Amino acid sequence: MGLPIDSSAFPTQSSVLVLSLLLTPAASGILVTVTRKKRPVEIITIVSAALILVQAALLVAGVISEKQIRAFGDLFLLDAFGALVMLPIAGVGLISALYSVNYMGRQYDRGTIDDKHIIRFYQGFNVFMLTMLLVPVSNNMGTMWVAIEATTLVSVLLIMLYTKENAIEAAWKYLIIATVGLSFALFGTVFFYYANITAVPAETGSETAMNWSDMVAHAKLLDPNIVKTAFIFVLIGFGTKAGLAPMHTWLPDAHSEAPTPVSALLSGVLLNCSIYGILRFHIITLGTLGDSFSSTLLLILGIVSVGIAAASIYFQKDMKRMLAYSSVEHMGIISLAFGFGGFFGIYGALLHIINHAVAKPLMFFASGSISQKYETKSMSEIKGIIRNMPITGGLFLIGGLAIVGMPPFNMFMSEFMILGAGFGSGQFLASSLVVLFLVVVFAGFMRHLIKMVFGNPKPKSAASMDSSSEMGKLSVVPMAVLAALVIVLGFYVPQPLQALASDVIHIFNQGSDTPATSIAPIKPAAVAQVPATSINQGGLG
Amino acid sequence: MVDSMILAQPDILMLSSAGLLIATFAVVVRRGFVDWLSAYRYQSIVLAGAAATIAYFAGAWEIYIAAALTLLIKAIIIPKVLLRVTRKIKDELKTEANPYVSLRLSVVIAALLVGLSYALTRQMLPDSTLDKVASTYLPVSMSLFLIGLFVMVNRRLALNQVVGLLIIENGLFLFTTALTHGLSILIEIGIFADILVGVVISSILLYRISQTFDTLDVGELEKLRDD
Repeated sequence: MGLPIDSSAFPTQSSVLVLSLLLTPAASGILVTVTRKKRPVEIITIVSAALILVQAALLVAGVISEKQIRAFGDLFLLDAFGALVMLPIAGVGLISALYSVNYMGRQYDRGTIDDKHIIRFYQGFNVFMLTMLLVPVSNNMGTMWVAIEATTLVSVLLIMLYTKENAIEAAWKYLIIATVGLSFALFGTVFFYYANITAVPAETGSETAMNWSDMVAHAKLLDPNIVKTAFIFVLIGFGTKAGLAPMHTWLPDAHSEAPTPVSALLSGVLLNCSIYGILRFHIITLGTLGDSFSSTLLLILGIVSVGIAAASIYFQKDMKRMLAYSSVEHMGIISLAFGFGGFFGIYGALLHIINHAVAKPLMFFASGSISQKYETKSMSEIKGIIRNMPITGGLFLIGGLAIVGMPPFNMFMSEFMILGAGFGSGQFLASSLVVLFLVVVFAGFMRHLIKMVFGNPKPKSAASMDSSSEMGKLSVVPMAVLAALVIVLGFYVPQPLQALASDVIHIFNQGSDTPATSIAPIKPAAVAQVPATSINQGGLG
Repeated sequence: MVDSMILAQPDILMLSSAGLLIATFAVVVRRGFVDWLSAYRYQSIVLAGAAATIAYFAGAWEIYIAAALTLLIKAIIIPKVLLRVTRKIKDELKTEANPYVSLRLSVVIAALLVGLSYALTRQMLPDSTLDKVASTYLPVSMSLFLIGLFVMVNRRLALNQVVGLLIIENGLFLFTTALTHGLSILIEIGIFADILVGVVISSILLYRISQTFDTLDVGELEKLRDD
């Protein structure tokens, strides 16, 4: 006999934890605003990022044992999928905060930026963390949209920190394209909500009808035609923010012009948040329409992204732009993998999200230090990194080899799994195309990487005259931590990650008609029956 | 009183729909930034009225709040912010000299887009599933969305992209309110906050662009390329 107390009226332990997770960056942002001194502000941000990581780890541990955590009634819901997105946000957040001290400090010493910029940077950094953390814990899809739009606004402010022409141009394009994109996403979200309240009229006007958990529970009842339209809008919208081609045009500008610690967050974890938005609706759509519709669309966008990124990487001249295009490529691979579906498709995609979140910040940090050393981002000017800065050069090489999918590094494992899922489910055309594109990426990326790392340093360049080789401990340590993860994750996947991943596969199956059971090797999912080319499957019906 | 309201219903719906569309067309045919802002202000006032109408028929108090917020934020604050920030920008930078498609042709295209919106709405949401209010407002909201997009891609001025976005957003608000009688008020407030912050950020950027590039022509913003 339960006591006649509405438990949701009292803050439960999980509510407190979720609330304090969100309040930490908010409080830290306020403290930064009040303190206004360089050194204390750096410490506040690092402490806050560390606290966020600890709390995120606690929440993830809770999710592993209890499957999901609800807070404030149904407003917040953290399940295994959210946990897998939240963990990299917290992890990269802390590493990035540490790296910022060195990177922004150097910009400060050079006079590129002054105290005002430093304060703005750390304010923005903390608010950016807050908005990103809000995404994986939102159960209400409206809240999630508001959070994702807020990430755009904050990151625009962070990009326009430097008042250079390039930064302003990049910030403008990003603001406009991402906001238009997200208005499509809001359209789609409202359509899903409408489908939910027409299917279950009792829900009209209720607070829960916009909750993901509610929509998924009613997935089978929703009107298939509305869901089709809605998913297309959501895919275009969040796809724009996730940098899926052909809506990716803002991404290389924004990611390359942002201050390096911000680039790492944008590429490594913010893109995941948007992919996460698409996939939440993908799960609902799977329940309503079965496997073929949304999976095919994800597959097509994925292949296009990898293809366009491959061509752009091959002919790239700017180091940070190359890394940005590589993010387009990897978001494409993730989208594709969820399109393949099945056990290995989803498992591989989840690992790839984590692996990319580890490897890409490593690359951005290294490239940030390198471009500070060489005072350019143009790859033709950067030669012989390994001689000028041996540690950074070595870590840059490790990250680069991982990014192109070389064994024994982490991304090889997830890409191998994903392609295995593709061929295993009979998607031969799609899988072969992707293999072809990945070969182009490999050739292009390696060509640039080898020249930069091992080429002959130009005599009399700024680098050779500078006696101190590395850029300081606080720039090397974050990179070394990430490089260690890149290597470790190449050999084995820690038990907690495995547990989370198999829970996520369960979440994907809960709506789907043809569950791909966990341990058995892929039973070709229904996706298999739809060749990648049959685009007309995706029509408006 | 109630009887007369019900009789007057189609008229109010028709009048406000017409008002919303006229304001949108005003943006399409005008060249000056101040004109667009007044058109936008006028549109937002009508939009608030439309929302209040929906609130009356749906009997939902949340929509009255949303209508009041529309009036406050979109009809008063946003135009003020944009006007103030752009006051320092030279006038010749703020006038649309040569859009990609001539203004005359733009009107024709905008009219076609309105037709398309009616067709699309029929296609996606058959009339039988909608009430009177929704079936009148949905095609209008779709028109605002599409014409907003058209204004954004057709014009060269960065100011136009902001106005286009605002029109798109008005379309979205009408769409949401007419179709679902509003999201929960918490989310509406979140969306309003996002818009307001977005407008503030874009006006800072507008100012910086005009200072750095000495133009607001987005065609000139092309330093960042792959070659």
